Order: sequence, then structure tokens, then C-alpha cells
Amino acid sequence: MSAQTHDRVTFEQLAWVSACLGLTLLVRTARLPIWVTATVVAAAAIRLGLAARGRDAPPAPIRFIIAFLAIGLLFVQLRTFNGLAAGSTLLGLIAGLKLLETRTRRDIHVIVMIIFFLSLAALLEADSFWMLSYQVGVCWLATATLLRLTGAAPVGARRDSILYAGRLLAQALPLAIAFWLFFPRFGGPLWQLPEDGGEAATGLSDTMNPGDINELAMSDEVAFRVRFSGSTPPEEERYWRGPVLHNFDGHTWRRGDTGLSPATTLDFHGPAYRYTVSLEPSPHHWLFVLDWPSQWNEPAAYRTNDYMLVVPNALSQPIDVTATSYGRVSAAAPLLPAARGLDSNLPAASNPRSLRLAQQLRAAHPDDRGYVNAVLDMFRRQPYFYTLTPPRLGQDPVDEFLFDTRRGFCGHYASAFAVLMRAAGIPARVVTGYQGGTYNRFANYWILRQSEAHAWDEIWIEGSGWQRVDPTAAIAPERVEHGLNDSVASGADATSRWQRRTPWLTDARLRLDAVRMLWRERILEFDSASQDRLLDWLRIPDPGGQKLALVLSVCLIAGMSWLTWQVRRELRPSLADPVSRAYARLCRRLGSIGVPRLPHEGAETFAARVAAQRPDLGPDVRALCRRYSELRYRANPQRTAAAAFIAAVRRFRPRDSRGSS
Amino acid sequence: MTRVRQAAIARLGAWSARRHGPDALPLTVNRRRIYIIPTRFGLALALLLAAMLLAGLNYNSNLGLAFGFLLTSLALVAMHHCNRNLLGLTVDAVAEADAFAGTDASFEFLLRNDSGIERCDIEIRCATAAATRSVPAMSYNHAVVRMPVERRGVIRMERFELRTRYPFGWFRAWTYAQTPLVVFVAPLPRGDRPLPSGAGAAGAQAHAEARGDEDFSGLRAYEAGVPLKHMAWKVLARGGAPAVRSYTGLAAQPEWLDWTSLDRLAPEERLSQLCRWVLDCDAAQRPFGLRIPGAEITPARGPAHRTACLRALAAFPAETVR
Repeated sequence: MSAQTHDRVTFEQLAWVSACLGLTLLVRTARLPIWVTATVVAAAAIRLGLAARGRDAPPAPIRFIIAFLAIGLLFVQLRTFNGLAAGSTLLGLIAGLKLLETRTRRDIHVIVMIIFFLSLAALLEADSFWMLSYQVGVCWLATATLLRLTGAAPVGARRDSILYAGRLLAQALPLAIAFWLFFPRFGGPLWQLPEDGGEAATGLSDTMNPGDINELAMSDEVAFRVRFSGSTPPEEERYWRGPVLHNFDGHTWRRGDTGLSPATTLDFHGPAYRYTVSLEPSPHHWLFVLDWPSQWNEPAAYRTNDYMLVVPNALSQPIDVTATSYGRVSAAAPLLPAARGLDSNLPAASNPRSLRLAQQLRAAHPDDRGYVNAVLDMFRRQPYFYTLTPPRLGQDPVDEFLFDTRRGFCGHYASAFAVLMRAAGIPARVVTGYQGGTYNRFANYWILRQSEAHAWDEIWIEGSGWQRVDPTAAIAPERVEHGLNDSVASGADATSRWQRRTPWLTDARLRLDAVRMLWRERILEFDSASQDRLLDWLRIPDPGGQKLALVLSVCLIAGMSWLTWQVRRELRPSLADPVSRAYARLCRRLGSIGVPRLPHEGAETFAARVAAQRPDLGPDVRALCRRYSELRYRANPQRTAAAAFIAAVRRFRPRDSRGSS
Repeated sequence: MTRVRQAAIARLGAWSARRHGPDALPLTVNRRRIYIIPTRFGLALALLLAAMLLAGLNYNSNLGLAFGFLLTSLALVAMHHCNRNLLGLTVDAVAEADAFAGTDASFEFLLRNDSGIERCDIEIRCATAAATRSVPAMSYNHAVVRMPVERRGVIRMERFELRTRYPFGWFRAWTYAQTPLVVFVAPLPRGDRPLPSGAGAAGAQAHAEARGDEDFSGLRAYEAGVPLKHMAWKVLARGGAPAVRSYTGLAAQPEWLDWTSLDRLAPEERLSQLCRWVLDCDAAQRPFGLRIPGAEITPARGPAHRTACLRALAAFPAETVR
């Protein structure tokens, strides 16, 4: 019985652990059901309120009913406790309920372990340096909480607990780094990860309404980053290929079913560009690569018949793909009838004015190239405007755009162009992706933001194959040359204008992004290949799993020895005062030659005994001890006297009479 | 399960005794005698860390792995700190204690910390009883371990233990001090028989109260065990040898507390009655002697004498009683 009362938690301990739990759940609140957050907060408030009145946890039946109801409700809502998100939510709820029933220190230990696991779960999903720092901070506070679970009264100052926990963490850091660097990594998952419900991700999708891309144009979010090894393609060749759209219903372009024909064999021309794309996680299956990809290193990826690069599973994690692309292609073989049919299909009932226009132009230009130039010429000569804020379009969007509003974004032009091509019997398709990119001169890579999303067309020219045509370039050529921000300089985007006027801010943003890229390359993507390079750098022959284990063991032994030395070193009383330190050194030296100072001996008594035992040292030791006493007990000792004493002690090196003759 | 555990603990203690031999107090804890094992929280943490490692590897998450490795290293660091918390600590104890059956025996300990760090949560454990103390840097603290004793007799514990779970409660470090602790459990004072001299408890009390200056008969030389209130402080203050005031009538009539005078009672009852008489006589500051089978204590007075008598009663072997 007495042990139980002794173990009972105090209000202060409860407050500490509630704070830790609160901080852990704080970064998840957006993804927790609102009532779970409310339950945890209420549980903490009730338990703290009871503790403040010196009362115990609510009786067991009440706690049981609450727990049963809450967990049951959660299961009804989530349908599963499997997977990271659902599991974390459940753990958070359990931690809150546990808080309600906390009676002894054991319960607090349990909550702290749940907090550790929640921190890990948050880190499995996140990838930023800030999240890691935050979770380490939570871990720090949680371990400080454990220090408060002391049995001896009085409990020390809070600041001391936090400092001591911090020191333990700091001492753990070298070992943790060694573990992280040398613990063998495996390539893929050990078992299949449960698919989490994907979050709504920004970015391109496999459908396109003309207005879609201009929403993306407002987003500054990074779509992906690219590092070229070797030459960089010029601006007009930096088209990053995303979903290719074939089906048009009069309003919307869709990807449609494209698995019907094998890929056309292409002949690649021009210089080859080798590069690595660092892709962010996405719910989609395509990889963004430079037009037109010929080789890539991702074994799971394959090339579709319309030259997209696709992976079987959605990208749940950031990946790097190294690929080679060529700027120009040609195809000698004719287009297969099925593919021609897919890319020539137009709904007969919609956009009638556009169809008539196409017929007129086609009559004047029976040659395919002549017809294409005539359409582009129309965009260039007639008053077509390029704007981020195009007017809304109604039933026949292509008609309204071409004849009425004449204001649009890349999506409008790509859509209208493809319709005019198909109406004239030229197979055409819309390609969405990104164009251009911002060069980061601080770390030599390119950033592609969502604002650089773009749409263009590909048309089939007999004898040459699929050729890229960017009708938007006909409207505002400088857009293709300089990217979005310049072509809409007159637009309403105040932030981008402000950024252009403050180059240092742009630089700062680029530097920050360079650090992110470094973080991603060095930390997030650290893998067995990086470990091999590391071992190679350490000049360890034949890198591999065994060598890693060996190095890790060596690091562990060294780390543990260092720890042993470090923690014992802290046992020595730290003498802040240099004079005391010097005196301690004097006593240590005399001790090492067989005349240790006894605990009860003052300086002068000690000196007398040394003089009796070792007459040869007597005068020196007496003088030193006398100076020490004066420094300690004289009313106003001189500053120089202290320095002189310290120097004298440093010079004093007694010889062991037992060893010497 | 508990029995297995207790047997294991006893064997470990005995093994440690063979390894280190008997210890002299004060004892400074060196590193060879500190043992350490994970607690159940430490074992749970180990499982958690294994799960974290698997999760980190499976999700291919370098940040998750970093966090897991940080916690692993933290546990290893905590192990060193737990061990260090005992290292170099000095413990001294009053190895003998007196108590009455049915009350608590109190063992006094002194913990001295000559190091530059605070020693938190040091638990001193004697068999089942324990006390927890913290000792600041370059300081000392004392602890009293109260152990309930039910029966009369002499209880001898071969060793006591210093334990700590600090810092995080994930490890338990402990050391054995192979120094016997002895508690003399005197019988519970009970019984209403009058004193053999006929004065009875009440008479002795009245006698003590009636004593005044007129009983003062002179000074005699100081001897150990005399109550402090009988010291002749003025003589000492004048620079004389320590002296004790003596009173007439007290030294003259020694009371013999005799086992044989209580032949009607059961043996334990007799011991309880004798204990009652010892306490009464001591309270009245009367000289008394104790005579029990196997022991005879000549009449005297004072705390030392009283303790000797109570210990004789405690040590009276239970099996020889018929």
C-alpha cells in the first residue's frame, strides 16, 4: 500500500506529460478528427483539474466506458486501424485516454513511450529538417518529464531537469550519428506498405480544362528539381513531359485509354541531355522527364506509346530518376490506324464555328505544314491576348475563346490548336507538363515550380512523326524565352512583382531551396549506395554490409568508451576558481609521489607533514602552501599573486624518491 | 514467480558476498561492484526501439531512422549515467538497531557525495524496507530506513543494497554492501505485575517525581551512559574534570528484575513483563539488574545499560523456552 501512495503522480508530473502529449499532437491536429482532439484536450483538463484538487483518476467503470466508446467511434469513422495515419490517430486517442486514468508513474512511462512512437510516425510521413528538430524537441521534453518522476523529495528545479535531459541528448548525438551512417540500409520495403488515403496534392492531373493550369500558375510550390550532368538544353527545349491527353469531349481533355497500340519507334536527333529529376511524392503514376526520354535508370518505370514515363505504383516517397533525353525526334514508320483514330476524334456537335474556320483554312492550305503555320499566324497576327485571368467560358469553350474572348492561358491555346488540327484531319494531342525552370546558381540545379506548369501540342506530320508545337509561343514569344513571371508583368500578381524588385529576396529563396536540395540529397536519400561511397571515402576496401557492420561495431566500442570516460569525468568536482584548481593539482602531484593530502589537513598542516616525510621538497611545498593560505585568507590578495601561484604550481614537478636514487 | 525471483536475488547477493568479501563501513562504491539491468520500462523501450527500427527501414525513412537511433543512443547514455549515479558514492550506517516487537526498526544511513554531480534518487534497501534520497554535489544526506518488525528476536541481514533508477527509470543499477545489519527486537512491554521490590511501577514513578535537591548527596566521577541532566555542568565550566551529581536513595537500592519471580506466566509474557519493568526503572532512573536464564546483567543505570538489558531480552532464544 505504501509503495502505491509513494508512486502516485503529482499535479506537476501530469502537467509535464500533458504538455508533451499536446506538443506531439499539435502537428497532427489538422489530420485528427476534431472530436479526437477535443477528447484528448478534455481528458487532460479533467485529469489536471482532479489532480489540482488532490483527487485521483475517475473510477474504473467510467474510464472503461469512455475508452470503449471513443475507440469504437474511431473505428466506425476510420473503418481501419491499419496504416500510418489511422494507427497514429488511434495511438493519440489512447494516449489521451491513458492520461485520464493516470494514477502512478508507470502510466506516465506508458504515455511517454506512446509519445515516442507518435513522433516517429510523424517523421515517417514528413521529410523536413524542421519536423525532425521539432520531434527531437518533444523527445527532449518527454525525457525531462521522466526526470521529474523522482522518488526523493525535494524534486530539483525544472530548469535542471531540462538541462540534464539536454546534456544526455547531446551525449547521445555522436552514437546516434554513427548508427545512422553505418547501419545497413535495405533497398525497398521489407513488406508491402499499407496504402494511405492520399492527400489532395497540387499538380497536374490526367484531365485538363482550359482554366486548370492557370490555377496552378498561382502556386509557388516546388514541383520537382533537376540537376543536369553535362550540357543544359536551351530554354526552348526545356519541355518537361507530363500526362499526354487524347480524348476531347468539347470541353475537357482526358488521358483516355491509350494501351491500344505499341510505341512508335523514334529516331533521336540532336544532343543527348543526361540529368537527374528529384520528384516529390504524388498520387499519380507518371514521372516528369525532359522531352523526349530515351533511357532511364528506374527499373520499375516504362515508356507508354505516347512517350510518357510511368511507374506501376504511385510515388509514396520522393524519388530520384536519372534519365537521358533528346531534344528532337523523328519517326519514319506511318501512324497506326488505331492511334490515328484516337488522336483525330472530335465531337461533331460542339464548337461549330471552329470547325468551319478549320475547313476554310484547310481549303487555302492543303499542305500540312502550311496549315499549321496559317493557324499559328492567326494567333500571332490577330488580337489574341495571353492572360492569367481569362474570362469564363460556356458551352463551346473553343469557339468562345477563338472568336469572342480571345484571351487565354496556355491551356486555352493548346486546346484550341489541337481542335483546329483535328478538324483539318491532322492527328493532334495535348501534352501537359512544365516548361522552363529557375536555375539555382548556388547549387547548380533547376527548380520547376507549379507556376511553370504548361500545356502544348503534338501533331503528326507524315514522314517526320510526332512534332511539338507550342501555340502559346506564337502569342507571346517571350513566355517561352523567360518563363511565366515576365510574360505577365502587367498582371495582377503583386507578390511576384515585388519579388522581382528585390533580388536579394530571390537570392535568399534560392539559397534556402539549395539547402533543401542538399538536405534531400544528403539526408533523405542516404542509402546503401551512399554508404558504399562513404566507406570508399574512408579508404575501406570492398564496401558492403559486412564492412558496415564492422565499422559500426568499432564506432560503438569507441562511443561507449568515450561515454564511460565522459560520465566519470563529470564526477570530478569542477572547481570554478583557478586558485583552487591549482591547489588541487598540487595535492594531486604530491599524492602521486606517495604523500597524499588527508581530507582533514589544511594547507599548512599538510605542508608540515610533507616536509617531515620528504625533507627535500619541504621548502618548496611550504612556500607554495603559504602562498595558497595567503590567497585564501588574506583580506586583499593581489591579482598577480594568484597568477604567480598558479604558475609556480605548474612548474612544481616533484620526483618520486622511491623511483629515483 | 515471485519465489523464483526472490531465490535468484538471494543467490545473486550471496555470489556478490563471495566475490567481494565482507565490507567495512564507510563503504565507497567502486565500479566493480555496481550491477545494472534494464527495468521493465527499459525492456518495453527496447521493444519499442526494435519496432521503430523496423518501421524506419520499411518506410525507407532516414528521418525516422535518425529519431530511432537517437533514442537508442539516449538509452545507452542513460545506462552509463545510471551506473555513474552510484559510482564513488560513500555510505555509512549505524549497523545495529533496537526496536520493540510490532513497531518499526529504524536504520540510520549517511550518504556522502564527494563528486561534482548531484546524486538523485538513491534508494537504500534493507530486505523489504527502503528509503530514497538525493544527495547534492559535494554534500551529504542522511536517510532512515524504517522496517516493520513483528516478532521478538534478533534479526540479522547479511547485506544492504544501494539502488538507483535515475535518470529515466529504464535501468536499475545497484550495489551490495556486505555489512550485516542487526536489529534487536525487544518484546513489546506489557504486564502489570509490581516490581519485585514491591514499589511497583506507580511507586517508582512517584519516587522519580518526588526526587529533588534534598536527595543530592554529592559529586562522583563521570562514567559513560549517565543521563546528561545529571551532569555537573558548572564543575565542567570551572575547568574541573567531568563530574556527575549523585543522589541519595537511587544508587543504594538496586532492583533485581528476575525471570524466576514470574513463574506463573508464559515465557513470552514473562519477557514482556521484564521489558515493562526495565523501561519503568529506567524512566525512574533507578539502578536495576536483569537476571534471565543464560544471562545476568549487574545493576546499573543509564541508556547503555537499558539497551544492554533490552538486547538481552531480544536475544533470549525462543526455542529454549518451555
